[in-house]
Formats: sequence, structure tokens, C-alpha cells
Amino acid sequence: MTTLPFGPRNRETDPSLAKAAELPKEIAPPRDLWPAIAARLTSTPQRTGLRALGWPGALAAGFLVASVSALLTWGLMREPEPAVDASLAAGEATTVAAITPVQYGPNSALGATELATRNQLLAQFRQRLDELSPQTRQAVVNNLAIIQRAANEIDAALAQDPASGLLNELLLGAYKQELQLYSKVVTSGDGPTRRT
Amino acid sequence: MTNLASAVESSLDLVARACGGDVNAFETLYREHVGRVYGLCLRMTGQPEMAEDLVQDTFVNAWRSLPGYEGRSSFSTWLHRIAVNAVLAQRRRPQGRNEVSLTDEAGEQMDFAMEPAMDDATPIDLEKAIAALPPGARDIVVLHGIYGYSHEEAAGMLGLAVGTCKAQLHRARHLMRARMKPEGTS
Repeated sequence: MTTLPFGPRNRETDPSLAKAAELPKEIAPPRDLWPAIAARLTSTPQRTGLRALGWPGALAAGFLVASVSALLTWGLMREPEPAVDASLAAGEATTVAAITPVQYGPNSALGATELATRNQLLAQFRQRLDELSPQTRQAVVNNLAIIQRAANEIDAALAQDPASGLLNELLLGAYKQELQLYSKVVTSGDGPTRRT
Repeated sequence: MTNLASAVESSLDLVARACGGDVNAFETLYREHVGRVYGLCLRMTGQPEMAEDLVQDTFVNAWRSLPGYEGRSSFSTWLHRIAVNAVLAQRRRPQGRNEVSLTDEAGEQMDFAMEPAMDDATPIDLEKAIAALPPGARDIVVLHGIYGYSHEEAAGMLGLAVGTCKAQLHRARHLMRARMKPEGTS
């Protein structure tokens, strides 16, 4: 195998990177992919009128998602001595059935394996929900709503700018926060030391 | 009008027509750009079949999003950003994470379907060295080293900090150096 000397730091003078720069930029795919693409275009309308749902909303939603973990932790830590919420005291406690997982849009759909992983965690999460106080259950609903809002905003922004790496990071963050939320609920019943 | 100016105008015209729903114009754009997009996807994933799927996703996403293309970057760069996002989305799926295949179904060392090496520097070896890098390091070598994007541009595409890109490149250079050395040398 060829030895490439190791040189200074930039692309122009580092021998390995200089060699990389000389590699062909184009590689022909082994078969014509156009027919398959053309077939998909017929069922893929071009997006219009999405300017209003852009980056500002997605970024704000991403910021809100980042606060979910802290909010839920606060709720779980207060579980032994819940504060009385007026609406809950009036009998408007959140039912387990009302708690639904986050729905991801067409531009940010989860893969089958991701869905399976989430569903497995969801099953444990739902079992634990019955043991939570109404206040904490409401906190879970509120946090899921924040994540849902973020997922909606990010999906809309991805439709407008599918090339954005940052939007993909935000989307991944929302998905992780959703899983972490379930995980925190699942583990919160194992003892005070697990409630972090 | 120079050939370059004519080509640019032609490309802009094709984009404008494709924006208006002209599939034939979009096919012409596909023919012009598919080699670079496939090369990018193949090098970032190391898997030809997955790269083909990602090329399809890239052009379908581009078609859907063409009305949002404002020409702030070249069409090629815009397309590359969509392709990088398709690769990153693929990696988010658990079965797609950190997969690097250097062998075909029969277990033989995989060769890329590209132009033959032009000299004794054996670019195929370099391709294999790049394909063997961890995904993060490989991404920056592909974008910065092969396709010439700046650290800032590559960081924007990958959703990373510029410093992280530079650190990944540093790591990649060390790994490539080790891989490209003949056995028995230090």
C-alpha cells in the first residue's frame, strides 16, 4: 500500500489531503437512477407557501425542547409532595389515554427500527403513568406538547430547507428528548436516588 | 457571451424551469449533477446500494424544495447540502449508524466504480483509507478534502461547530497516515 507522508495542516499542503483533492469528484452510479426518481416525483408535489414556517419558529421550538428535561425533572422530584393545582382539584386530571406520543411529520419521519425502540419504551412508560400524581402526569403532557410543537416547527422548516444540518440536529434533539422523557418517567419509581 | 457565462445562464434557466414543475428540465439537472451527488453519498456511507437510495432521496427532496431555492449558493452546493442531510438522516436510523462496509456480499474487498488510477499514487488505496475512517472523520475528509468545502461550509452542512470539524480532520489525518503506511514501517 502506498505511503503518504504527513505534512502541514492545510488542504493545499498536507500530502494526504492534497491527494484527496485530486480524487475524481464524480462517480457514475452503477445504474440509471432517474426512472425511479421520476416515478417518485409524480407523487411528490413541490412545496409552496412555506415561507412563514421557517427558521425562527424551529429555533424557538428547539430552545423550548432543551428546557423539557429540566422541567420534567423538577416535576418528578416534587412527586412526593405535589402542589395542588386548581384545575386538577376540580377533577380535570389528565387521563393516561390522553397522553399520546409525539407525531413526526413527513419530512422527519422515524424509521421502523426507531419506532420499535420508542414503542418498547412507551409500553413501560404507560405502565408507570398510573402511579404518577395528576400534577406530574400533567407535567408529562405539557412536556410532550412542547416536543410536539418543536417537531412540527422543525418538520415545516425541513420542508423549506432540507439541506440544513442544524435542523437535523434540532430534530434529533427533539427525538432524544422524547425518549429521555419516557425514560425518566420509567425510572422515577425506582427510588429517590434515581430521580435525577 | 463566454462558454462559462452561457453554461451558468443555461443552468439557471433549467433551475427556473424545474421550479415551475418542468420534469424534463429537472432530469437535465439530474444528469448534470448525479455523478457528484453519488460520489458524495458513496464516500460518506461506503455502501453503494445505500448511496443509490440516498441519491434518489436527494433528488426527490430537491424537487420538492426547489421553490425555496433562492440562489444564494450554487445549485450544486445546495444539492450537496440536501445530500449530506439525507446521509445524516440515514445515520439517525439505528440500523444505519456507523456502518462502513469495505466488502461486498461475497466478502471480497470492495472497489469503487470510478475512473482508473492515473498514476502510481493509487487513489483506490486512498479511497479505501477514507472509507475506513469513522463516520465523523470521514465526513470532513470527504467534504473538505475531496469536494473542497471550507471548514465553515462543511460545519454548516454537518451541523457541527467549526472547531469540531477541524478536530475531526486532525483525527482523520492521523488515521489515514497510519492506514496508508506499508506494514513494517513506523
